[in-house]
Amino acid sequence: MDEEVTLRLCNLADVDDLYEFASDDKVSAWCRWDTYTSKEDLLNYMKTGMIPHPWMRVICYRGRPVGSISVTPYTGADRCRAELGYVLASQFWGKGIATKAVKLTLETVFKDLKDLERVEALVDVNNFGSQKVLEKSGFTKDGVLRRFWIHKGRVRDMILYSFISTDPLV
Amino acid sequence: MDEKTSEVNQSRQFHEVTLREFELTDVDDYFVWASDDRVSPWWRWDTFTLKEDVLAFMEKTVLPHPWMRAICLNGRPVGAIWVTHRTAEHQCCAELGYVIASQYWGRGIATEAVNLVLGTIFGDMEGLERLEALVLVQNVGSQKVLEKAGFTKEGTLKKYLIHKGKISDMVMYSFIPADN
Repeated sequence: MDEEVTLRLCNLADVDDLYEFASDDKVSAWCRWDTYTSKEDLLNYMKTGMIPHPWMRVICYRGRPVGSISVTPYTGADRCRAELGYVLASQFWGKGIATKAVKLTLETVFKDLKDLERVEALVDVNNFGSQKVLEKSGFTKDGVLRRFWIHKGRVRDMILYSFISTDPLV
Repeated sequence: MDEKTSEVNQSRQFHEVTLREFELTDVDDYFVWASDDRVSPWWRWDTFTLKEDVLAFMEKTVLPHPWMRAICLNGRPVGAIWVTHRTAEHQCCAELGYVIASQYWGRGIATEAVNLVLGTIFGDMEGLERLEALVLVQNVGSQKVLEKAGFTKEGTLKKYLIHKGKISDMVMYSFIPADN
């Protein structure tokens, strides 16, 4: 498993592979974005959102893009903090790929992003899969933020997880 | 009226906390806490030294603020309280902040002001589901105010932000309508 999961920068040629999961309702259900219905829209997002992103990687399994992972820093007085997000094609769920991708990210992101001290992740209270990924990757559960977020029309409680630069890599 | 009742009535008379919108004519009162070195360490701003700067701040930030009120003690501003959305899209959640002039600390004024806000904010702000407050771990005074007002402590967030040049831990509190 270990060598089979790698991270690399995104390029536009990845659009077909990324579209496979971006157009999957099962995948977008937990994500902030709506299921993609056109490759053009995805290509546009890749050009404007993914490629210029401060820290975004494509998750590859045996060399093939099966997901993406990003760490988005805040600015100003909040620049020591960044939000982790990731998405994985549903046929690859349950194999430990997301956990491996998160661990690979934590190994380098604190060096890559100059002011970063804290990586946090917000997970829906019902998203048990993602909670496990973060716990296995060494994140700490900071607490439950009640009625924090409106997700696709519904007010949700979210669990806040964090990984500090000095925390041990698992 | 016996002596005791008259005393109680007197202390009530001299301790009425109300909220109202700010006006530029409040600048002298605003300057009192804005220029106080005892107050500014807890807040992101640096101590103001010039009244013109406070006036400019009131014009630019205070008066146009979507929800900001003067905390008045017997009709005179002794502090400020505000509720701000994190982002334009994140409307269900807003952050509470407040400041009280240091000579009025320890009298329960902040707690009363917070209670007054809790009484109206969910009606005033459409779509608001959550009022939160982030407090420096060392700001025990503010933590007590929020706890007395019925906020729930959700957790300690390590290395959350940079406060006066130092990376600081914050405590997250929240109040939701069901808490009433």
